[in-house]
Amino acid sequence: MSASISQFRSQADSAINDLPLQEAIDTATGNFWRGREGALEELPDSEGLRDHFKAIRSATLAQLDEHLESFESNAKAAGTHVHWAEDAAEACRIVIDIGKTRGVTLATKGKSMASEEIHLGVALEEAGIESVETDLGEWIIQLAGDPPFHIIAPAIHKRRDEIVTLIENASGESLQSAEIEDLVAASRRLLRSRFLSAGMGITGGNILVSETGSLVLVENEGNGRFVSASPPVHIALVGLEKVVPTWDDAAVWLQLLARSSTGQPLSVYTNVVTGPRKVDDEDGPEEVHIILLDNGRSQLLGGKYEEILQCIRCGACLNICPVYREVGGHTYRSPYSGPIGAVITPLLMGLEEYPALPQASSLCGACRDVCPARIDLPRMLVELRNDEVEQGLVPWSVRRAEEAAAWMLMDVDRYRRLTGLMRTAQLPVLKDGDLRMPSFLDPSKGRKLKGLAPRPFREIWQSELEGGDG
Amino acid sequence: MGDREAILERLRGASRPAERLSPWLTRRTFENPVDRFCECLTNLKGDVRRAESAEAAWTIVDNLLDEMDAHSVVINQEPPVDGMDTVARWPERTCYVVGESEGDLKAFCADCDVGLTGVSAALVETGSLIVESGEGRSRLATLLPPVHIAMVRVSRLTTDLFTWTAGRGDHIPTNVTVISGPSKTADIEFTLTLGAHGPKRLIAVVYEDGEMDS
Repeated sequence: MSASISQFRSQADSAINDLPLQEAIDTATGNFWRGREGALEELPDSEGLRDHFKAIRSATLAQLDEHLESFESNAKAAGTHVHWAEDAAEACRIVIDIGKTRGVTLATKGKSMASEEIHLGVALEEAGIESVETDLGEWIIQLAGDPPFHIIAPAIHKRRDEIVTLIENASGESLQSAEIEDLVAASRRLLRSRFLSAGMGITGGNILVSETGSLVLVENEGNGRFVSASPPVHIALVGLEKVVPTWDDAAVWLQLLARSSTGQPLSVYTNVVTGPRKVDDEDGPEEVHIILLDNGRSQLLGGKYEEILQCIRCGACLNICPVYREVGGHTYRSPYSGPIGAVITPLLMGLEEYPALPQASSLCGACRDVCPARIDLPRMLVELRNDEVEQGLVPWSVRRAEEAAAWMLMDVDRYRRLTGLMRTAQLPVLKDGDLRMPSFLDPSKGRKLKGLAPRPFREIWQSELEGGDG
Repeated sequence: MGDREAILERLRGASRPAERLSPWLTRRTFENPVDRFCECLTNLKGDVRRAESAEAAWTIVDNLLDEMDAHSVVINQEPPVDGMDTVARWPERTCYVVGESEGDLKAFCADCDVGLTGVSAALVETGSLIVESGEGRSRLATLLPPVHIAMVRVSRLTTDLFTWTAGRGDHIPTNVTVISGPSKTADIEFTLTLGAHGPKRLIAVVYEDGEMDS
């Protein structure tokens, strides 16, 4: 995939003109961010807690090697197999090898952004292993063949009638008059047999706790528990930045994660897995594998983009972002959308492939204000824009125009002279104060562009306001 | 092992001294923890029943099972449930006592009406129940049946995540699950629906047991 400026613009246009979609985005993001506000206000010192969390994330990344090695040794002591994957291909290969060794033909999947990042579903299909998404939203978009629209709520763009058709086709049941409750019940019935017959379960992971070698999985439906507890093999695919040293640190993470994300105090299920079933355990998988996914992350350590590795994928920045809330998730053409996606996608998948994303921001700073780890996303968006210029990724015409603007703004007399000239030059295309350019010249793409005012504000200020009362 | 070494080498190259942080301690005290717990779990769409004694709590369970006409119950053999001879108490119901009964546990959990368990702890701040795996404790028993009934002694209550992790022992069970309400989803048109893949009904029977714990 890629996102050029023109691809981004045309997809943004169609999203903005899709009124039902706009309504769906407003409902979801609005509910999420109002929920977030309430959930954090309820805490005695949420600002202090966020500062503390920032400090935990910074300190852990500073010594990521030690924390991951200690995680690995404690997880192994608990019986977990720990794998390291340099890139997407290696991570997919590890999953497929485990499946082939165990003769698996059906795998159930919990919702995992890392698996979207490496396109695991496609790789499994090519290897002849059927994989079924079990989070309701993920299942719906799997049936539809869509990418996720939001990192927390992947199917918010799907209308009920579309979902009815998808589930009818999958189940063979007639659901035309079905209420939402009936649709959920139908998916429960249908997926239950898949859960029970799957040869392996694949999940992501929210947190790795080094001191006990534990994996923490957070979800609301129970599908993540099912996937990790029922099949004989459980594989968890986790970005290697998701580690914390201690349970005290993990508690801070959990206290902020669901509150920042959906506004819940905690998600319905916080599931902690420490190794395969032991002699005394009554159920659970015989084998547990954790794949530590690098895929470009380690190269960010120690550099100007390290801070992005503090992200916990809560989605708060999407919900508050004025750009995401208009253009929606698919416009970013990456599993990671919104402000976090605009930074992490070019960093993991190549700035040359995604030149539009760092531009998809007004730099208003709302994302930084809501981030539980206080990640300075606007700073990194600007850094990426600089990189684009340095790497020659900005179109020639835009570069020349920006150079001209910079030259004009550098000298106040030059600025006054040139704006004076433009005041006269604009007259043929000025109507009611707006510029009406012939369409082939129009930089505003149909939006209203204000012309220069007949008198500069500086002049008005001097003659009427300052001079008048002074 | 090629990937491991290559990745670790890059990580080591970026390694540097870091601040040592002291743990975040809880900032909360609740005047009436039991009330707060019950209120929070109710807000999460949990069904809370309170009792003055263990005896009264069991009567509540009897009535609940009658009301929902439960034919089959999977029972985790853990405190305080293990103190009751449930098989003798409910001769008319098929009970699977985890760790004792014969037969396929998973198949029973997938078909039965109710899962009955204790809890290892409960969080006052969020109204959450904490269950663990181990001998006599099935994790599927709290997940597959449409109803989960948990016996919650007030001595199991702890303030929040921070007091819980501070009070943990050295040993961690294979599975620990913090349950905050019944299974739910809002994936279709952002409409909250209960009972996605886990229990649609979560009932906590909360009672005084005269014990004082942390």
